Amino acid sequence: MTGRSRLRRAVVAAAWLALAVVLGAASAIAVLRRGALSHEAVGPWRVNLLAGSPQADAYTRARVAIGGLLALRREQTMYYVATADSAGRPLRSRCSYRVAGRPPPARWWSVTAYAEDFFLFDAEGRRFGVNGETAVLAADGRFVFVTGPRPPADAATAWVPTPGDRGLLLTLRVYQPEARLHDAPLSLDPPTIEPQGACR
Amino acid sequence: MTAAARRRLRLAAAGLAVAALAHLLTVWALPRLIMTRATAAIAAETGGGVGLPPPADATQRRIVMPSPDLLYATCVIDLRERALRVRADPRPTGYWSIALYASTSDNVHVLDDRAAGGRPVDWILSGPGTPAAVVPAGATPIALPTDRGLLLMRVLAGDDAQRARADAARRTLRCDPVQAPARGTR
Repeated sequence: MTGRSRLRRAVVAAAWLALAVVLGAASAIAVLRRGALSHEAVGPWRVNLLAGSPQADAYTRARVAIGGLLALRREQTMYYVATADSAGRPLRSRCSYRVAGRPPPARWWSVTAYAEDFFLFDAEGRRFGVNGETAVLAADGRFVFVTGPRPPADAATAWVPTPGDRGLLLTLRVYQPEARLHDAPLSLDPPTIEPQGACR
Repeated sequence: MTAAARRRLRLAAAGLAVAALAHLLTVWALPRLIMTRATAAIAAETGGGVGLPPPADATQRRIVMPSPDLLYATCVIDLRERALRVRADPRPTGYWSIALYASTSDNVHVLDDRAAGGRPVDWILSGPGTPAAVVPAGATPIALPTDRGLLLMRVLAGDDAQRARADAARRTLRCDPVQAPARGTR
């Protein structure tokens, strides 16, 4: 074998291994972004039962670091995240959604709207969501609010502005859940997320 | 099998092994890198003291996916040379918690208002590499699994009425390096 062919072979091997490093790292990021691991679903909401916990596996820890760094453990706060409506269609900020449900059994709760980069929306009046203080409960104990770029026709319904055309995610935080929910996170009565009107 | 085919097979196997290793290393390293970046950004802003970020909005945030219903306070934890004394007396108010995060991003310790039972917080934090420090009477020693990390205090401010009270509560947080390392409990 000539020195030249040896060099060529070494270059090919080095390039191949460099490509393997890139593919390995890219596959990790793709898996973490897809978020299919370590989650359980209840209605349109996904919950990660090990968020923040030292018992979290490496994938859970990495996913939480990307999308919710500094999460609290389940005993303190449970995080339910929805990126799709109740029919499984991806949420978009340009569309309007009616979110309705019962307050979860917990000390306190909130539902907050975020854009796909996990920033809050530029919502007038700091109406980033509803919470245990601000939600108005109907006689049947349920809350209702509408997200979207325009206020709902029914002015009495709470509105969470989501201007622009971006990916939308809703986070339901349940602070200090009661034991029945803490022990069985999928027993949550999941708020429904229904599109309102045409979404252009 | 020819020598060339064997070489290709070896190279393919090595490539697969390297890709798998790179995959696992990325998953392992990402939370640590993200935590290091977040901690460095907070340290640059606060100069190592207590950080009192403004309420999150669409243009700024100090915490990933911040809750608009909470006011936060932060302390960067660096226990390589000194223990850290953490004190707070956030009462009376509603929900609050003080959470400690290791450099791996794990939430390794948390105290909330119910568990505190109205008593002020007084902790001495140490890590694996912290020189021994005196623990003052009444303070609780807490050993962290890493020398670096972050403290995050959350105080509920669900509406405007609660905001001023929550702000006063978070301003009671103090994080002071223990100045005189000496013999004692770590």
